[in-house]
Amino acid sequence: MTQDLRPPWDEDPDDLYEHAPCGYLTTLPDGTIVRVNQTFLSWTGYTRGELVGHRRFRDLLTSGGRIYHETHYAPLLRMQDEVHELAFDLVCSDGRQLPTLVNSVLARAESGQPRAIRTTVFNATERRQYERELLLARQIAEDSERRVRVLQQVVADLAAAPTEAEVAEAMVRAPEAAFGAASSSIYLIDDERDIIYAVASTDPTTGNWDDMARSSERAVARVADRGDLHVVGSVTEAREHFPDLVESMRRSGRSTVVLLPLTTGPTDELAGPQTLGVLAFSFKGERRLTDGELRVVRLLGQQAGQALDRARLYDELRRRQERSKFLAETTRSLDELHRLLPRTRRVVDRVVPEIADWAEVRLHVGTTPVVEDAGGPRPDEELLTQRLGKVAASGEPVFAADGDQLDCSVLPLTARGLVLGTLALRMAPDRRGAAAERAFLIELADRAGLALENARLYEQERQIARTLQRSLLAGDLPSGDTRFAVETHYQAATHDLEVGGDWFDAFLITQDKLAVVVGDVVGRGIEAATTMGQLRSAVRALACNASGPAQLIEGLDRFVERVESARMATVAYVEIDLTDGEVAYSCAGHLPPLLQEPAGSPEYLMQARSAPLGSKAGDKNRTEQRRRLPAGSRLLLYTDGLIERRTRPIDKGFELLAREYARRRDAPLQGLAATLADTLVGRDHSDDVCMLCLTLGTEERIERTIGADRMQIALLRADLRAWLVAHEVESGCRDAVLLACSEAVANAIEHGYRDDPFGMIDVVATVTTDAVEVRVTDRGTWRGAVSDVARGRGLQLIRESMDQVLFDRSDGTTVTMRRRRGAE
Amino acid sequence: MEFTRGGRPVPMGQLDRWVTFSTFGDAELVSLTGEIDLANAPEIGRAIVERIETAGKVLIDLTTVSFLDSAGVRLLDALVGDLNDHGKPTRLVVGRTGAARMTLQLCAFREDVLATDLDRAAAEISS
Repeated sequence: MTQDLRPPWDEDPDDLYEHAPCGYLTTLPDGTIVRVNQTFLSWTGYTRGELVGHRRFRDLLTSGGRIYHETHYAPLLRMQDEVHELAFDLVCSDGRQLPTLVNSVLARAESGQPRAIRTTVFNATERRQYERELLLARQIAEDSERRVRVLQQVVADLAAAPTEAEVAEAMVRAPEAAFGAASSSIYLIDDERDIIYAVASTDPTTGNWDDMARSSERAVARVADRGDLHVVGSVTEAREHFPDLVESMRRSGRSTVVLLPLTTGPTDELAGPQTLGVLAFSFKGERRLTDGELRVVRLLGQQAGQALDRARLYDELRRRQERSKFLAETTRSLDELHRLLPRTRRVVDRVVPEIADWAEVRLHVGTTPVVEDAGGPRPDEELLTQRLGKVAASGEPVFAADGDQLDCSVLPLTARGLVLGTLALRMAPDRRGAAAERAFLIELADRAGLALENARLYEQERQIARTLQRSLLAGDLPSGDTRFAVETHYQAATHDLEVGGDWFDAFLITQDKLAVVVGDVVGRGIEAATTMGQLRSAVRALACNASGPAQLIEGLDRFVERVESARMATVAYVEIDLTDGEVAYSCAGHLPPLLQEPAGSPEYLMQARSAPLGSKAGDKNRTEQRRRLPAGSRLLLYTDGLIERRTRPIDKGFELLAREYARRRDAPLQGLAATLADTLVGRDHSDDVCMLCLTLGTEERIERTIGADRMQIALLRADLRAWLVAHEVESGCRDAVLLACSEAVANAIEHGYRDDPFGMIDVVATVTTDAVEVRVTDRGTWRGAVSDVARGRGLQLIRESMDQVLFDRSDGTTVTMRRRRGAE
Repeated sequence: MEFTRGGRPVPMGQLDRWVTFSTFGDAELVSLTGEIDLANAPEIGRAIVERIETAGKVLIDLTTVSFLDSAGVRLLDALVGDLNDHGKPTRLVVGRTGAARMTLQLCAFREDVLATDLDRAAAEISS
């Protein structure tokens, strides 16, 4: 009661000591405890008897504390006589450790000798707890910051990733860096094929990388379907919810798996977020993710989803651009070629390998189908034939479907409503299926169909024009009359896209009057060929009534008024009186004929020139020129393709032609035109060449010079034969002369020149009423006479077939041979 | 396209202008035509040898040959000799007159392998 009456600040000093809110210890300078209060005993669980006189303060410390006591506490106390707030863990009687803060004061005797140490001990359990929490909080903050840094980097990478592959690459490393995951992998959804496929993984040795159907029971497919984050905390949980994970978790030692759908994020309210893929990552131990981490994981899923969405749009845009570029280039590239086969070839060459690994175009035109293919391997022939038939019959495309054994798309090539053929192709593996690709293929087939149909029409027209031209040019020319011989040559431009309008004709107006004509109709193609035919007929019809070349050209002028396409055509027209060798000629805008008389230089016939047919501005006063030509004269009519060259002035062309013509004055008529064309225009020429060469009369004496070329023997023989026929030499004698002459020339080629093509051989033949004489001369070096059995047979033939043979080997070799006429 | 009248040299590969192959009864029939000379005889020879390698009997028809020179005779001589060596019966069919007959006669070609018509030639070698 009395105690109750005492005011609260009036305390009993003993009680205060014993039950103060801190522990008190008094020790001797060596640390031996001499006095201790109840608070200390309660905290540590010791009894007073256990401590006083038996223990030193340092005996109550942990081993770390004892070292600290030695190194800090004791020296400090000795130096300063007091220490403050030193942290020690006391070992309690039951072994617990009690965190404390200790203050001590050293009391000294008057002599200054240490007498006792007074120590207060504060319980620091709460404070330590607080400090630990503080530390943990800092760690969490640091983790979070690191995560944020990782995520920021990922988000930056994602923003810069233009393709799905790069998005996946940026994503797949994030879980390791951000959450310390052991490995992670990314799966994407292919809407078109309705499957989910793995694209990237940091540890390809784990997991199952097969494509899976979206409806699959596998965990990845389920999560993609639900669109929610799933954390599989343990193998047990996996067994319960996603049995397919158990095996791979066991095998790779994973205990926690996180399955994160990658979503487009909230779009419009109706559609909701769309799942584009799944990020799966796993941990070795069982790992609980905090709410904060889960929030971050979800965020990551959204970021990745958006990046994927963006990449898909980019991808789509890029493909669309590529496709339209491809189509435009295809059209342009097909336009470069006019003919059907090259165009067909180009279609498959465009398609393979750019969009398909195998392609075939099959066109049902003409009697045998046109088939071009490229790439490989060829698909199963039987299945392909079936599909081709189906498409050709229905006119509808059939696309390769999933699990399609044939794996080829077949599209009809149509034009103007007709199925022209088919385009079959097997798409490159990365381009299969998509709806956009189908539209693209249809467009491609449409363009190819149209281009091929145009080429087919072109081909058809070209064929008709060709046939027409051929029938006109290769028609019967007069022959068998010894008073003249005609040689013609036509060669189309090398890159002959269309037939030209060059033409020639030769015909007998009466038994003794020959007409030869060469002309050039403006334009090309079927119309030019038709016009040429009409003009040719007109010339033949007019020639019978006209009294000469001038009148005939005037007639053609009138004709052109009715046949507009013949206007501005050029014509060189010559009439020959076979009885006396008089020629009459007229040129309407055409190049002048080239005349070579037996003696002298070649000469262009420059008279009787006027404007092209139907010309409105030119000189249409048609005139003609007459002159008598000696037997053996040669007249060449030609079109501009022979002498006109973009690279040289036309004068040069005239000069060159005259020179080459003169050089060949003694060449056999046969093959002369072709040889001239070869020399003047070569094989690569851009214009048609049309030539007509006329030889008049029969030479009394035939002189020919040929190169030492085996091919020339037949040409020479043809001339010689014609000459012998013209002179009515009997067949037995004729055959003998031809044989002997051929053998002599062959000897010169084989033995005189040893096939040196620059060697020249002169052949001169004369005929009288009772004999034929032939002289063959070469300037080669005769090689060892008749040791060669084969040549021996040749010489034997010469001797046997001729009556007299003379060899002169003084300068080269001259063989002079004579055969009597009449006798067999 | 190119076409010309007359004797433009004909490139190799157009040998069928001069030589064609068929069978006559159980014999291989080689038909020659046109002018056979130094320029084309070697090519024609090669084509014939290639063709008759497996033949048992051979008939060579020269009735439409309009010219035959010593190179042609050399070719025929080699062919006949080779066929004889292998015991393969053979005949050359040549008209009674004409350029080919003349050349062969002038060379004194073996008369026993010459015949004037195809049926007779075939009959001769079938026995």
